[in-house]
Formats: sequence, structure tokens, C-alpha cells
Amino acid sequence: MTSSMQSIELDAGQSGGRPAGMRATALRRLRRDPVALGAAGLLVILILAALVGGPLAAHLTGHAPDQQFPSALARDSQPLGLMQRTYLANGATHDPHGSLFILGSDALGRDVLVRVLYGARISLLVATSATALAVLLGITLGLLAGYFGGWIDAVVNRLTETAMAFPNLLLAVGLAVVVGPGLLNVVIIIALFTWYYPARIVRSTTIATRQMTFVAAARTVGARPRRILFVHLLPQVWGPLLVYATSIIANNIIFEAGLSYLGVGVPPPTASWGQMLSDAVTSGMYQTDITLALAPGLALVLTMLAFNLLGDGLRDALDPRGR
Amino acid sequence: MRKVVIQRLGGALVQVLAVTLFAWLLFFVIARFTGASPAQRIAGKTATASQVAEVARLYGLDKPYWEQYLIFLNHLIHGNFGFSYVQQRPVSAILWPATRATASLVLGAAAIWLAVAAPIGAWGGLHPRSAGDVAGRAVAILGMSIPVFWLAPMMSYFFGYQPTQGRILGLPLLPRGTTLFPIVGYVNFGQNPVEWAYHLILPWITLAIGFAAIYIRFIRTLTAEQLAEDYTRTAMAKGASTRRVLVRHVGRNVAPTVTVLLGADIATALTGVFFVETVFAIPGIGYTGLSAIQNLDYPVITGVIIVAALIAVLANTIVDLLHAALDPRLRRVGGG
Repeated sequence: MTSSMQSIELDAGQSGGRPAGMRATALRRLRRDPVALGAAGLLVILILAALVGGPLAAHLTGHAPDQQFPSALARDSQPLGLMQRTYLANGATHDPHGSLFILGSDALGRDVLVRVLYGARISLLVATSATALAVLLGITLGLLAGYFGGWIDAVVNRLTETAMAFPNLLLAVGLAVVVGPGLLNVVIIIALFTWYYPARIVRSTTIATRQMTFVAAARTVGARPRRILFVHLLPQVWGPLLVYATSIIANNIIFEAGLSYLGVGVPPPTASWGQMLSDAVTSGMYQTDITLALAPGLALVLTMLAFNLLGDGLRDALDPRGR
Repeated sequence: MRKVVIQRLGGALVQVLAVTLFAWLLFFVIARFTGASPAQRIAGKTATASQVAEVARLYGLDKPYWEQYLIFLNHLIHGNFGFSYVQQRPVSAILWPATRATASLVLGAAAIWLAVAAPIGAWGGLHPRSAGDVAGRAVAILGMSIPVFWLAPMMSYFFGYQPTQGRILGLPLLPRGTTLFPIVGYVNFGQNPVEWAYHLILPWITLAIGFAAIYIRFIRTLTAEQLAEDYTRTAMAKGASTRRVLVRHVGRNVAPTVTVLLGADIATALTGVFFVETVFAIPGIGYTGLSAIQNLDYPVITGVIIVAALIAVLANTIVDLLHAALDPRLRRVGGG
């Protein structure tokens, strides 16, 4: 779940201390990268789908995300397939709820399309807030360790090494069982198991930057550590961190879906992609109606693809060695 | 070299201690959150106060915490992981076969992902922006984006279940009831090696795809870096064949790095193992751990955490030592 991080770690530190004007160069390069632009476009669509797509689809189809429609189950209580309509009893021709289920219904007679769109909200909400929390933790520890070195560095290093040695999903699941399900709990657990990636990046960038002349100059004119840390070192960290953040968000989307898949994530009936997948797979229902597994799965793959492609584009654009 | 080895082993020991401490603490944390003492938990909800006290005395739960931890460690050293009250068996008897099944799964998958990634990655590094490179990178980024818990049921559906319905990839080409690959089950290697491999093919591929994708990118970057170095240009200029340069020069410099990554990823793969083992019903540590969590079988949960962490630490340590052996620069000073 986390190993794509390492590919970036290989480049860590090399992109520290970019010359001025790099931001403009990076933006120009990004604008010329059709793949990265496409990925960014896909992300915009995804965010729109999450913000307005869900309510819009719910309004148009007349199906709320958690609403169960007994009429959306056949007599043998099989869910509806793609583009199927509800079964109306006693010859009625008009279904007051809207009879069309575009992606069919799930085992409880809920609209799969509406739930997939609402699932995007949970995915993005959990992943971005967990990433923000992890990055905040990572920046703090990474800056301190990288700048001061010595025992602080040793402690942070041992902490990251030990944290990385753990089978983190198992521990996360164990922890989630202990603290119970809930949106905030999931965010905190995910952040707790991902902070060390930004911490390592920030640490290596800080070490690379610390030795540069402008930092020495700042120190000579009497700048205190706090000023050096926040005014001189922190701005240098954003570039590599930005590339990283896209990867971390992608990983956290998988992390959340994985926790929900195992039943310890965002509690039902809230629609989340992992939960939908797990409902389809553990009941075996996906073998009779593959849409139940394909819809949330493809949503996940597309989201991951968008973040991964954008991350690649950002890394190329920020690469000081140019192209 | 000896100093490197001692340093590395010392580090591994510290990690193992940290892991065991954490796993042991988890038991108490769970007990506190669920509002019952470990003794109460073992004795059961209906136990009387004197029964709980008796259990506490029996398992040494009335001793100070530090002493309990030392006793716990002492048991671990002697291979005693405690007793599963749910399964009514010693935990070690549950964990040992599970670890072997998981090792079969992970090591086989690692062999596949290396075998797939090495040629594609090397080709990409050798011919950047060629059609093959672009295709390889596209496949890699797609592979990275497919979550294993979705891939596992999809593989099982399209290559296991659908053929039994007479279809392959949705097309009605097969006779009904064809078994292309088994959907579930596991056969011990010692029992029947052919059946062992046959039952593991789908799980292996499922676990390997995501890692193959990442390794294509690793190996491509590393190869391209080495090819830009002066020494490879010299070798090329001397008239060495591409094949020789790749194997003798680039390979030697790329191999140590890939080895280190492999150590970390064996540990990472233990995450994927959860999903793959549950979907394909392989009785490994992921499957065992998850059912233990569902049954709140704490001694097994603790045992699985320790075994998984031990595998991770062991893989990292072996790989670091191998790295020192493969990379002469690390043998001298206490680097690494």
C-alpha cells in the first residue's frame, strides 16, 4: 500500500535548493505536459463529481445515497443490473422514486451510481485530511531532525525506521478495532501510519539546504534557529513535498478504502468505495452482478491513476536536471 | 565488514524489542479500551471475582508490568506465543503453518515481479522514449493504480469463476464447468509441489502486479542513471556489447539497490497478503490475522503482529547484509 513512495525517496534530496525562478519554469513545463494536464483535468472532474455530482445524481434519479428501494430488488432478491428499471407491483406504470437505476442497484436496493459519486466525497475527504495531518507532523519532525541533527535526528530516525518496519495495515486494523469506527478515527489512524514519508523527505531536503551559503549567511547576520527554520528552510521543502503529497493522497485513498474494505473504516451506511467493494465481494454477490465490484473498483483505479500521473508530471516539472 | 554486521544486527535487535513491546502493550490497550482487564478477558464475562483472581495468578497477570513483559519475552524466546482460547490450540501451532503459506505466496510473487520488471525496466532505461519504454511506463503507472483488494476478486472472477460458467473474459468460448485456475484453497509444497504452484498462480500474479509496476520504474531510473555515467560510456567505447555492459557493468551497480528495495517491499507485501489470502482462502498469516481480529482472539493477533514484524525486520537485515556484500564500498567504514 505504501511502496510506491520509495521510488520518490530515491530522488529525495536531489531536488533540494532549487534556484530562483524554478517555480515559473516548473509551471511552464507542466503546461506543456499533456499527460499531466489530462490527469489534472481528471482530478478536477473527480472533485466536481464529489462536490456536486453526488447531490445532482441523487436529485435527477430521485435516489438518496443511503435510501433502500425494495422495488429495486427482483423477486429472488437479486439486485438490478446496468440500466435496469425497478419492478413495479400491481401493474403501476409510474414509480414516484424514479425507476431507472443507471448502474443498477446493490444487495440492499440502493442506487450504485449515486453511491459511487458519494463515495468520492469520503475518499477525497479522508485522504486529503489525513495527508494534511501527516504532512504537518512530517514537516515538524523532519525540519527539527534535519536542522538540529544530533540526538533529535537519532530519535526521529529510529522512530521512522521502527514505524516502517511494522506491518502497518495489520496494526492500523488492530488500532481501528480498539478505537472503533468513525470518520475522524480513520483520518487519525491513517496519518499515524504515513507521517514518516514526509518526515524523511523534509529531513533530507533540510540537510541538503542547511549547508547552503544563504543559510550560513542568515546565521552570520544573527538569525535565530526559529527564523532560519521557518523563513529560510521551510520554503525549500515545498517542491519535493508537493510531489510527495500527490503520492501520499493516492496511497491514503487506498488506505481508507482498504480499512473500509476490512470493515473498520468509515462506518456504514455512509457510502465509501472500499465498503461497496467489500459488500460485493464478501457476499459473493459480485459473481452474479460484476457491476457491483466494477463500479467502485474502477472509480478507485481512475482516481489513483489521476493522482499518480499528476505526481509524475509534477516531479518531471520540478526536476532541476531539466529534460 | 564485521563492524557493519554487528551494527546491523544490533539495530535489528532493537527493532524486534520495540515490536514485541508494542505488540504486548496492544493487549493492555485493547483491554483498557474494552473496559476489561486481561485476566477478566481470559476468564470470560461470566467469571466471578475469585475466578478472575485465580486466572490472574495463573498467568502472572498480578505481577508488575515490567516483570510481565520480561516473562512474555522469555516465553517468546522459547517459541511460546501463548494459547488461543478461540481455537483451543497453542498460538505457535497456528502461526507456523501460516508463516510457511505466506512465505510461499510472497517469495513466489517476488520472483515473478522481478522477472517481469527487470527486462522491461532495463529496456526502458536503455531506450528512453522508445515505443517499448512508453508502453512499459504506461503499464507501470496503471499497475501502480490498481488496488490489490480490487485486483484479487477481479482475478478470481475472470480467471477462476467465469471459466466455470463457460466464459473467458466475458466471451462464451469454453465448455461449462471448465476449471482454468482453482478459485480457493492451498496445498502444501511438501504434499504436492505441482498442485502447490497451480493453486498459487493466481495469488502470485495478483500480488506481483503492483510491485512489478513499481520495479519497472525503479529499474528504469537506476539503469538510465548508470548508463549516463562515464564508466559505461567507456565500456561502450571499448566496443563491449550492450548485453555485456548491461549485465557486467550496469547490473552490478543496480543489483545492490534493487536488493535493498526488495527487503523493504517483502515487508510491504505483507499488507497485500491480507487481501490476497482472504480472497483466495490461503491459510497464511494475513488470513489468520484477520480472522483473529474478527474473533477478538488477542494472543493470535499479538502473535501475528510479532511474526509479521519479525519477517519484515529479518528481510531488511538480510538484505542490508547482502547489500554490504554486493557493494564493496559499504564493507570498509561503518556505513550503511
